[in-house]
Amino acid sequence: MTDPNSTRKGADSASTRPTGAGPERSTPDMHGGEEARMRDHDVEVSVQLTDQLRALRDHLVDAFDDLEVVGFRGELTLLARPDRIFELLSFCRDDPDVRCELLADLTGVHWPGGKRVENQQETTGWPNYEYGQEIGRIEANYVLYSLTHNHRFRITVQLPDAEPVIASATPLYASADFMEREMYDFFGVHFDGHPNLKRLHMPDDWNGHPLRKDYPLGGVDVQYKGATVPPPDRRHY
Amino acid sequence: MSETRAEDPTRRNLPEELRNEYTVVGGEWQELPDAVDDDLMVINMGPQHPSTHGVLRLILTLDGETVLHTEPVIGYLHTGIEKSTEYRPWVQGVTFVTRMDYLSPLFNELGYCLAVEKLLGIEDDVPERAQALRVITSELVRIGSHLVWLATSGMELGAVSVMLYGFREREAVLDLLELVTGLRMNHAYFRPGGVSMDVPDDFDGRVRKLLVDMPKRIDEFERLLTENPIWGERNKGIGVLTAEQCLDYGATGPILRSAGIAHDLRKVAPYCGIEQYDFDVITTDTGDAYGRFLVRMGEMRESLRIIEQALDRLPGGPIMVADRKIAMPSTLGLGPDGIGNTMEYVNKIMGQSMEALIHHFKLVTEGFTVPEGTVYTAVESPRGELGYHVTSSGTNKPYRVRVRDPSFIHIGTIPAITRGLLIADVIAAVASLDPVMGGVDR
Repeated sequence: MTDPNSTRKGADSASTRPTGAGPERSTPDMHGGEEARMRDHDVEVSVQLTDQLRALRDHLVDAFDDLEVVGFRGELTLLARPDRIFELLSFCRDDPDVRCELLADLTGVHWPGGKRVENQQETTGWPNYEYGQEIGRIEANYVLYSLTHNHRFRITVQLPDAEPVIASATPLYASADFMEREMYDFFGVHFDGHPNLKRLHMPDDWNGHPLRKDYPLGGVDVQYKGATVPPPDRRHY
Repeated sequence: MSETRAEDPTRRNLPEELRNEYTVVGGEWQELPDAVDDDLMVINMGPQHPSTHGVLRLILTLDGETVLHTEPVIGYLHTGIEKSTEYRPWVQGVTFVTRMDYLSPLFNELGYCLAVEKLLGIEDDVPERAQALRVITSELVRIGSHLVWLATSGMELGAVSVMLYGFREREAVLDLLELVTGLRMNHAYFRPGGVSMDVPDDFDGRVRKLLVDMPKRIDEFERLLTENPIWGERNKGIGVLTAEQCLDYGATGPILRSAGIAHDLRKVAPYCGIEQYDFDVITTDTGDAYGRFLVRMGEMRESLRIIEQALDRLPGGPIMVADRKIAMPSTLGLGPDGIGNTMEYVNKIMGQSMEALIHHFKLVTEGFTVPEGTVYTAVESPRGELGYHVTSSGTNKPYRVRVRDPSFIHIGTIPAITRGLLIADVIAAVASLDPVMGGVDR
């Protein structure tokens, strides 16, 4: 993985961020660095995961002690450090007990920085929901699947949204080619080592990355029988 | 596998200049023909081409008539459905995702609904009747989808009679779906928590008629094609993907099964109680277009078996979860102007119960909220693993809906399966993948 600092566009974007995903914050800090720990390791995960996934979790945590484990609805998620993702994916593919032949999915979720309150419930008085983290980040989710052992789990990597760079998985899985290009197109994540990182769905000269949350949906008012209906991103329900 | 990757013929045997060139859009088109050797020729195929299954564009680098490299260009049908779902309540997401892979709409709905149910934690509360109806209707869609594949592939290879027969038989399937959902495509029939309405009384009889008729039709197709020398010549040994390549490229469904791996999500990760039905996973070991044809023909028969068993055991009872905070309160019925709220229900909320009206209003405008979290659910669509990777931030709208569409993944295998083929065989190879561009571009 290249140093994100070396390709930063300028200091302006860093200073405007509320908590500063700036050059001085290296990516490991986003996990708490050395303090990375098992979140609710013994309680939450063990209740929800099957025996098979629990054994898999123990096996992976033994091999990579900086993994953070999250369980939700019976699915195993491993939070990994971005600089070790290639190593981890190689292990998951080649280790006989993990043996994930299929990179089933690779996708992203954008969590914008700052405190963002979505005021969507004003007609009802339901509580407003805050989402948005201190640091704007993009989650890269790798879904790995093993036909041999029939297990599926997710590796999540968190990248700063100002300068997301991560090692490409194309040397390991050919299927990563299109999925990484799609993620570059939609989220602006740079995959270091990808042979052909170009836009896939959007035209080559498109500006912006459409699935980021700060990219507007767009749309115009619609008139119907005299009434005006706002576009979906400006409706209040 | 990384060694295989390093020697990947689709990359390594290219002219030096082309190794890193894939996408040709707009202005770059002129550079590409200039860049290649005088002996080579670059041909643009599509996006408007009768044999590309939609708006797929292929850039072929040819040496004589032999394809050296194929580069798929997609995005012509990109409609931003994933983004749009983030601005609508959870229930409305169904009507979006059903339009992605338009030949298997119910599988899209199924994957999405399973994901929402998993987030809500109500998978076990979905009534058995709803589960069985989901299985029956989605397996009907599988038959319809394979028939369209057969029809269009046949047409592309010059077998026009196959096209006519295929679309004719598909009508029988679409008529049944219309009977149940009111629509031939884009049904929006499944809802988080169940299905939108129960099947009409004559459903059972009409499906059983299909169960009698369809095997004869499939026999007809097999008599027409399986031993047909022209069909064999055009398909055998074309578009080969070995099992290892399939896994490397993420190919699933009939493509993986044609390479000899009996992988079917209905067996290894069953959904909607499909594990209680007896069916076989069809495989061949050729890994070519002909093998995929055999697999799909066999799968149609297996789908009929599943439908018959599900129909025999179709339980009574509700079709929606009991939780009225999730289930739409309205009762739908088929009126003279299509499906809508029944008059009894409208009279009740308008005339009798203010609370019912408020409840209805809130659920329709605002929907339900879904707990925070991320889940991945996958169903075995006619094309392979259709995955829904849904993130909720705890509001009444999805935070992110990612669709792992099998067609999209399979488009990535086109360079591998077309290299070294004659240009006419590219058509057969691409057709054997059964890509649906609505799902590829989303």
